[in-house]
Amino acid sequence: MTAIGKTPPLLEVEELNVTFPTPQGAVDVVRDLGFTLEPGGSLGIVGESGSGKSMTSLAIMGLLPPRATMSGRVRLAGRELSGLTDRQLRRVRGDRIAMVFQDPLSSLNPYYTVGTQIEEAYRAHRQRVTRRQARRVAVEAMERVHIADAARRVDHYPHQFSGGMRQRVMIAMALCTEPDLLIADEPTTALDVTVQAQILRLLTEVRQETGAGLLLITHDLAVVSEMTEEVLVMRAGACVERASAERLFSDPRHPYTRALLDAVPRLDDEVGELRTVHGRGPSPAAGATEGDER
Amino acid sequence: MARFLIARLSGVVLILLLVCLFTFGVFFVLSPDPAVQICGKNCTPELIERIRTNLGLDEPLLAQFFSFLGGLFAGRTYGVGESATHCAAPCLGYSFQSSQPVWDMIMDRLPVTATLAVGAAVLWLLAGVAGGLLGALREGTWWDRGAMVVALSGISVPNYVFALVLQYVLVVELEWLPFPGTVTFAEDPGGWFQNYLMPWIVLAFAYASVYARLTRANVIDTLSENYVRTARAKGLPRHQVIRRHALRPALTPIATVFGMDFAGLLGGALITETVFGLNGVGKMTADSISRNDQPVIMGVTLLAAFFVVVGNVVIDLLYTALDPRVRVNSA
Ligand SMILES: Nc1ncnc2c1ncn2[C@@H]1O[C@H](COP(=O)(O)OP(=O)(O)OP(=O)(O)O)[C@@H](O)[C@H]1O
Ligand SMILES: [Mg+2]
Repeated sequence: MTAIGKTPPLLEVEELNVTFPTPQGAVDVVRDLGFTLEPGGSLGIVGESGSGKSMTSLAIMGLLPPRATMSGRVRLAGRELSGLTDRQLRRVRGDRIAMVFQDPLSSLNPYYTVGTQIEEAYRAHRQRVTRRQARRVAVEAMERVHIADAARRVDHYPHQFSGGMRQRVMIAMALCTEPDLLIADEPTTALDVTVQAQILRLLTEVRQETGAGLLLITHDLAVVSEMTEEVLVMRAGACVERASAERLFSDPRHPYTRALLDAVPRLDDEVGELRTVHGRGPSPAAGATEGDER
Repeated sequence: MARFLIARLSGVVLILLLVCLFTFGVFFVLSPDPAVQICGKNCTPELIERIRTNLGLDEPLLAQFFSFLGGLFAGRTYGVGESATHCAAPCLGYSFQSSQPVWDMIMDRLPVTATLAVGAAVLWLLAGVAGGLLGALREGTWWDRGAMVVALSGISVPNYVFALVLQYVLVVELEWLPFPGTVTFAEDPGGWFQNYLMPWIVLAFAYASVYARLTRANVIDTLSENYVRTARAKGLPRHQVIRRHALRPALTPIATVFGMDFAGLLGGALITETVFGLNGVGKMTADSISRNDQPVIMGVTLLAAFFVVVGNVVIDLLYTALDPRVRVNSA
């Protein structure tokens, strides 16, 4: 809140460092990272596996593994998050910032119906809602992500959904609280190609409806070029290049970015299908690996 | 679901029949002619012969087995004419020692054993889950180590040793508890509770230790699940994350182990009841074994088998109820 009345950026990250202690000494998995995201804007973070993308998003959420230490500043709409207690952060998580994870099957609890899990997200941030109200919100959220027959499906368990439908459930869960910022950490990596395109389209649609900002993490340059205005390229925990999506493709400055561009398939705009240039094949489901927190 | 139940139940009946056959066979091999034993000191060959006919021991083995089965389901009559005695429906025969019907003997003592078992089970579940949860949430701290050392001693110290130590400390040294006696709940609830307290603790200790280790391992596993991360990312309060998302899935396999352990508790009750002089099924079994009172041992064996088999079916049903993934999908 500045006196001039200029709204502060939605998200500001400054000098973010994340460190893990290991027997060989401390390892910096995120190094001096900084970026800003304007309200309603979108930023893509790309980089190869292990470059620190997930750790960055978890640091913003305050969800780093217990052994990790973090320094630097994270501000949400001008409000410092890094000094907050876990209790204060809890009010931000899921309410102001919502997250969509890579593997929707393991990210949903198999013991509860999807409805229960969406309701939980809603009730965690709204005082005095009845079960019935929360349930209506859950059904509406499922309708918004185009799950057919939502009123019935709300009582189904995650294993009764297909991969793409599960990711829709995750997105419904994220948007039911109307967050200002959506962080999607490789939301389509575990899905097959046609479903990928649908989920990406859904994310765009949700953004347009809610006006939420998007932080999209992926190792797929083709995806960010479609989805976000700006792209940040990470390597070994540090930012190597930051540019508008357009410029990054037309004029990649950093050799690493060029190498990435060469290695990655391009998105065929109309059909939403991936075409191999050379290097890695377009089979994200088979090649999906989650290297973190296990 | 109905077909599943029918299949399971017919399986149960089959297994119980096999257990009957097996028990019957074992006891026949161990002692083919108990008449001598029943006859006692002032025995004459005529007396032995009479006992044989009365008990049907002169019949072929298979016929004896079927009379035994018949007795179980329909009751049977021993002997003929004036000396005939009718043994009503679940007939397990008569004790060689006291000549009482085995069924009645068991039923008289079952409440004591059930009290011991249920109390101990409540205690070991609470203590085991609490200890395991503490260990998991404070992994690597002194809390964790302390809880696991206690658990390890619970597993490695034989429970009669623990019983004697406990008795010595609580009753003799500290005088916190009176010497165990026989008090019913109706007479004196406080005294009843004091009376059962040590047996509960002793029987529960070893189980609680196993459950604490299981719970700890399972909770550490579930805490690193992606869905726990999702729960935290949703902004759920910590207690909800732990209770609903870490503990609940961790306890499902424990519920099935619990069913097995509870059903098979008679073995543990045997030692505990004997040490504390509780007049339950366990102590009766120990006494019967030392006196070679076959019908009683056989009756208890069948009962124990019955509990284990039925317990297993209950667990299966429970598991279906607890884990949505194994529920029949056509819901
Ligand atoms: N618990 C941990 N202890 C030590 N190092 C860790 C731990 N968790 C992650 N790391 C390291 O942190 C680095 C960054 O991990 P991160 O998960 O952020 O990568 P990523 O860019 O998301 O990769 P991916 O594309 O595979 O998801 C990796 O090199 C990883 O080895
Ligand atoms: Mg990652």
